[in-house]
Amino acid sequence: MRLKGLWAMGVAVMLGTASASAGELSFWHAYAGQQDKTDFINFALDAFAKAHPDIKLDVVPAEQSAYKTKLNTAMASGNPPDVFYTLPGGFLGAFVDGGQMYALDQDLAKDGWGATFLESALAQTTRNGKAYAVPVDVDAAVFWYNKALFAEHGWEVPRTYDELVALAEKIKGEGLIPFALGNKDSWPATFWFQYLEMRLKGSGAVAAFVNNDADATLLPEAGDAFARVADLAQKGYFPIGFNGMSDQEANMLFLNGQAAMLLNGTWQIGASKDAPEGFELASFAFPEVAGGKGDQTDVLAGVAAAFGISEKAANKADAVTLLRFLTSPEVMTKYVDLRKTMVTVKDATTEAAAGPVLYGISNGLMKSAGHLDPFYDTAMPPKATNAYYTSLQGVLDGSVKPEDAARKLEDALKAGQ
Amino acid sequence: MTSSSRDVAPKGQTRAALLFLLPAFVLIAVFVAYPIVYAGWLSFFRWDGASAPTFVGLDNFLRLATDAIFWKSLGRNILIAATAIVLQVFLALLIAYCLVRIVPFVSRLFLFFYLVPVMVSEICIGLLWRFLYNPYFGLVNASLKALGLGWLQRGWLGDSATAFPAVVVVMSFTYLGLYVLLFVAAVRNVPESLYETAEIDGAGHFTRFFSITVPMVWDAVRANTLLAIIGSLKTFSLVFVLTNGGPNQASEVVSTYLYKAGFSSFEMGYAATIGFAQIVLTAAGAFVIFRYLKRARGGNER
Repeated sequence: MRLKGLWAMGVAVMLGTASASAGELSFWHAYAGQQDKTDFINFALDAFAKAHPDIKLDVVPAEQSAYKTKLNTAMASGNPPDVFYTLPGGFLGAFVDGGQMYALDQDLAKDGWGATFLESALAQTTRNGKAYAVPVDVDAAVFWYNKALFAEHGWEVPRTYDELVALAEKIKGEGLIPFALGNKDSWPATFWFQYLEMRLKGSGAVAAFVNNDADATLLPEAGDAFARVADLAQKGYFPIGFNGMSDQEANMLFLNGQAAMLLNGTWQIGASKDAPEGFELASFAFPEVAGGKGDQTDVLAGVAAAFGISEKAANKADAVTLLRFLTSPEVMTKYVDLRKTMVTVKDATTEAAAGPVLYGISNGLMKSAGHLDPFYDTAMPPKATNAYYTSLQGVLDGSVKPEDAARKLEDALKAGQ
Repeated sequence: MTSSSRDVAPKGQTRAALLFLLPAFVLIAVFVAYPIVYAGWLSFFRWDGASAPTFVGLDNFLRLATDAIFWKSLGRNILIAATAIVLQVFLALLIAYCLVRIVPFVSRLFLFFYLVPVMVSEICIGLLWRFLYNPYFGLVNASLKALGLGWLQRGWLGDSATAFPAVVVVMSFTYLGLYVLLFVAAVRNVPESLYETAEIDGAGHFTRFFSITVPMVWDAVRANTLLAIIGSLKTFSLVFVLTNGGPNQASEVVSTYLYKAGFSSFEMGYAATIGFAQIVLTAAGAFVIFRYLKRARGGNER
């Protein structure tokens, strides 16, 4: 007991007093360590100090990798900061279930603040019908293609899944790789499975598990989705040895014009920055799957970060003022400009700030999306993620049967409930 | 014991000696002994790394006993150890013999070449081999094509049939040099007169190697075999960089499995159980092998 007490004291001393006195707000964020991140937060905090000189901020920055542990420890010791950066999904969910998050619904309803956010993005920080954080940025997975290569060969962007498969056959016939894929680290192939599941069954299947919905299931469509991915692999539409290649190696094939398409997140724009001459990046939506029960306009897109307020915060009015300022269109447009990432505030992702490719996705695909379905692998419990990763790799190399993989994943998700 | 005929140092000197040993003792206690004991303690708990650990008794050990992935991974470690004895220790002895007895004039140069991989970090070697194995622009497939063996080309690390052998090859390449170095020193110490006598008797290199060199450097063989086995049972970095245990755990070894249990699934208690089992099995394996090799030494006492 004495040791434990000492330990708690040590932690308390390390963390300092996170809750500041009235008129002062403690603010923790993870925008440190990377130039674009620090540029953004410096801009935002300077502007805030000018606009609200009466509110004093006690700012604690941390790097992304260390931040999660730091915030977790502070939350667990009952000494949370007033306003803080958080990840959506299970990470935020744990704080909500512990009664540590302040519900923002009343504030969001005032002056149309809530209406400035993409509804589907706000849904990812909502739990049990209440919004516990405001989303900041969002990553979406789309098909990327080399426009120059398509023009050279006279290929056309496919509108349906059958057209996509037919195009892949054609590309393979011309001696090129239809789809670049480097699945050594297991996450790149998850976009394939998830999009097929979304098209065949509909969005929100894994979210239902995470929200402890008793009817949650991926079946029976998951078997079909796994089978379709296995079929693509078996037909040789992915690079040779893709299960052992890294995402960077797959990118080399794509950027060098050896592979025609790539299903990947919006971070592909940054990854394509140093592409050789003659490469032209463009995107298209994951095509419609005939007979699928899901909304065919849905987009696989996850909120990457959010801001929330602690239930314990003494000065909630000022905390809300800070959140409203951080998510104002001006600050968010600056965010897009500096980080080249889509934001969840409507119309803040301007063409000038985002560049034409990202703007096209933000203004077209994202606006017309029926739902945004967050990335399965980060939304599900870590143990289930491992089952998801290994069974997908197994299905792709033919060592696991699609229906077995579907059952294994379903069981892992059920066990995590 | 103090009453034996051996010289016992005066009290003051003993104290001084203990004082000098103290820093090493403290470091070992803090960074080796404590973590092992802590892992042993942790293996009786379920713990996600953040909340309070829950005592689960022997649950983790029962789970380990029936965990097919763990036993398959351990099997791969044992296979790695077996190949290491042949492809690292025995091959290194052969190379050392050639360098010292057959081509001594270039032995320094070649020894340097063999040592290069030992001096480079394993992570760098792993990344380098990832490029060599790359199915599209890697040297391995390109060489096969140039040799007219194009039909052998494949995605070495991404194919569940070849991923594990491909990793074993890299391991042998990486660690061979170390054993060559150790054996060169041992072979150089074999008295020249023995070889001269053998030469007069008309013994060829084959006989000289097996009848003189091997018995004369048996102590080094024993030590190096032990090193190779211990290294094989705890191998991690090369597998991690090359395949991360994939595809679908086709090249998983105990350490990468432990890493995934602990730092991907956040099952710290189970990871500790795996680690604890690994240490016990490694120690037991090393002990048995060492004892066996000692007896096999027979009447070759020097």
